[in-house]
Amino acid sequence: MSVIYELTPAIVLLPLASFALALFFGAWLPRRGAVVGSLATAGTLGLSLATLAWLLLTGEPHNQTWYTLVDADATFDLTFGILIDQLSAAMLVIVSLIAFLVHVFSLGYMNDEGEPGLPRYYAGLGLFTASMLAFVIADNLLMAFIFFELVGLCSYLLIGHWFTEDAPPSAAKKAFLVTRFGDYFFLVGVVGVLVTFGTAGFAGSEGFPVLAEEAIAAGETFFGFGAETWFSVLGLLVLGGALGKSAQFPFHTWLPDAMEGPTPVSALIHAATMVAAGVYLVARMYGFYALLPTVLAIIAFVGGFTALFAATMAVVKDEIKQVLAYSTISQYGYMMLALGAGSYVAAFFHLTTHAVFKALLFLGAGSVIIAMHHDEDMWKMGGLKDEMPVTYVTFLFGSLALAGIFPFSGFWSKDEVLFETLIHALGGSPLLFGAYAMALAAVFLTGFYTIRMVLLTFHGEPRSDTAEDPHGVRWNVKFPLSVLGVLAVIAGGINLVPVEKLSGGSLHVAFLEGYLERDVGLLTHGEHYSELLHDHAGYTSAYVGSEVTTLLLGAGLSLGLALLGAGSAYGLYRGAVPTRHTEKLGGLRTLLMHNYYQDEYQVWLAEGFTVRLSSAADTFDQGVIDGAVNATSSVSLSAGSRLRRIQTGIVTNYAALILLSLLALLVVFAILGGWL
Amino acid sequence: MVLETVPVEYYMVLSAAVFCAGLFGVLTRRNALLFLMSVELLLNAANINLVVFAFYWGEITGQVFALFVIAIAAAEVAIGIGIILVLQRNFGDVDVTDATTLRW
Repeated sequence: MSVIYELTPAIVLLPLASFALALFFGAWLPRRGAVVGSLATAGTLGLSLATLAWLLLTGEPHNQTWYTLVDADATFDLTFGILIDQLSAAMLVIVSLIAFLVHVFSLGYMNDEGEPGLPRYYAGLGLFTASMLAFVIADNLLMAFIFFELVGLCSYLLIGHWFTEDAPPSAAKKAFLVTRFGDYFFLVGVVGVLVTFGTAGFAGSEGFPVLAEEAIAAGETFFGFGAETWFSVLGLLVLGGALGKSAQFPFHTWLPDAMEGPTPVSALIHAATMVAAGVYLVARMYGFYALLPTVLAIIAFVGGFTALFAATMAVVKDEIKQVLAYSTISQYGYMMLALGAGSYVAAFFHLTTHAVFKALLFLGAGSVIIAMHHDEDMWKMGGLKDEMPVTYVTFLFGSLALAGIFPFSGFWSKDEVLFETLIHALGGSPLLFGAYAMALAAVFLTGFYTIRMVLLTFHGEPRSDTAEDPHGVRWNVKFPLSVLGVLAVIAGGINLVPVEKLSGGSLHVAFLEGYLERDVGLLTHGEHYSELLHDHAGYTSAYVGSEVTTLLLGAGLSLGLALLGAGSAYGLYRGAVPTRHTEKLGGLRTLLMHNYYQDEYQVWLAEGFTVRLSSAADTFDQGVIDGAVNATSSVSLSAGSRLRRIQTGIVTNYAALILLSLLALLVVFAILGGWL
Repeated sequence: MVLETVPVEYYMVLSAAVFCAGLFGVLTRRNALLFLMSVELLLNAANINLVVFAFYWGEITGQVFALFVIAIAAAEVAIGIGIILVLQRNFGDVDVTDATTLRW
């Protein structure tokens, strides 16, 4: 084992140490723990980069059990282990990069603004980063579940950072409960996987995806179900957790409320940790999902629908962070669509570029919010581009990437998602056309709401006093923005599949694809997944005309729609004093502002259904179960209180009783023995 | 020996008579001292049986048991007298029907 893998635990332990330091000694640390946190995440970033470089250079992965929780001979061991393959190594870099930049940004957003509870805040950030990193390197489903839950806990703590106000604690509870609802299914799924396969390991020929593949090939049955049916049930159960965390319909309701947390936390949650965990989980066990066409179709449809559904709501929002929140839901919908449509590489590519430009947008929004003295209403902004050029330029880059405009990073990844969906739909999975159509419609809306947000925030005349004289921001805000701004432009360069195809394969510029497809002996590489998808899910590629024609058609279509959306937003909102066009939507706007009454129906579900059901269960419990127990005890009590009267305390009576009993016994023996 | 000439049934009758006397005492008397005496009678009725059968079968075991019973009887009397003293102190009487406060 190479030295770098000896150091892998440090990737998790560094932020954990910063958590402990900030928690116990935060008040005495420089900048209340910010420095320690930044140093720890910088160290983590360095180690992650080294790990990635090592994997790239040597192609030597790492899959080892480090700690055995329960050593069971008869059933299965419960272990903690580290799995470093292409997916986790790349994810480590994303998570630690975003975490580092968020720590630096927090100096400007939290420390400089004099927010209370800073040690608690940095402790939360440290634990959040540590648990996400541990989730990323988890080598089995149980460990992944444990850290998945810890990620949920940390987001609860950080969303509710300003717990003395009304809204944040409520939003924190909502985020916790909604994701917990999904995690409930996940937990059942983990138990199911352990019971079915006797292992929850992700990788290698002993991992459960490979065992599942063999079981399907051997036509085994489980609990009276065919292998594929049973695995689909397990896959859907685990998917419950992924949908909850990744805020997919119908579990998306927690995410917009989570905007109550500090903005750097939103950046971390949306770009790299909490929300990414769901998509990462599906990608992590993609060898399992690739066997299950039904589950893949469900993932693709939920993803496509969520992409469109969330984009429609983002169109009418007035607060900058709300627009970004719905765009996150929508973008994770694209990733889910990619996974469901059988393009693992495109999903991870979009996860990467999205992490960069969404972190950038949130940090940019944070910078705007600092400038606006914590007023988030876009209608009170305007004209900020001259006052804060760095924020404006980087935010614009992020927005263009989000909108999918050529040549920004989002264009490449979103286009690949759409392209892969299209060719698989053409290649004999016509159901995918539905998801593809929804995703295309979402492209238009994304272009629209993104440009609307940029125009309302930065262009036109200032519409309030604070917008005329905004609060300045310092290096600690500008530095993360600049790093991410550059990345948002160039990150698409890691996987220029269209360029490679247009050049006829002579230019090898699809770096990410080559990286993820490479076989390092763990059976978690993209090529293996493609074979599984082809054999089990029947995903084949077909083209309109030639491959290049399809490519150009698809890219032209999505870019055209994005430009159309962006152009219409520009046409509608470009003036010095833009009109509130969305108010003309009337009833539709009301519907969208109320988020399709999703919250209302979930509250109704909780109050009208769950509360009633549980009160009925309570009545049953109190009446029947407790009733039976109480009846038994009261019968015993009254019988006992009557029977004890024979204990007179007078010794003569006892003697008489003994004598009579003896005589009775003798008579009985006499009769049974036949003496009488 | 006289014992050999007397049939074993006679000893049985004697023992039964002593036992019944003891039992009568236990069932009817309220005085704790008389109680103790009645218990002695019960034990000694058993002792007669043990000794007689030991002799009858030529076995020493029964006699050994009789010795045990005598020892236990002595111990029992020691405790019994102690209890009677406490009764006298607490109730000013040795009537066994008075001491019923510990029943329930």
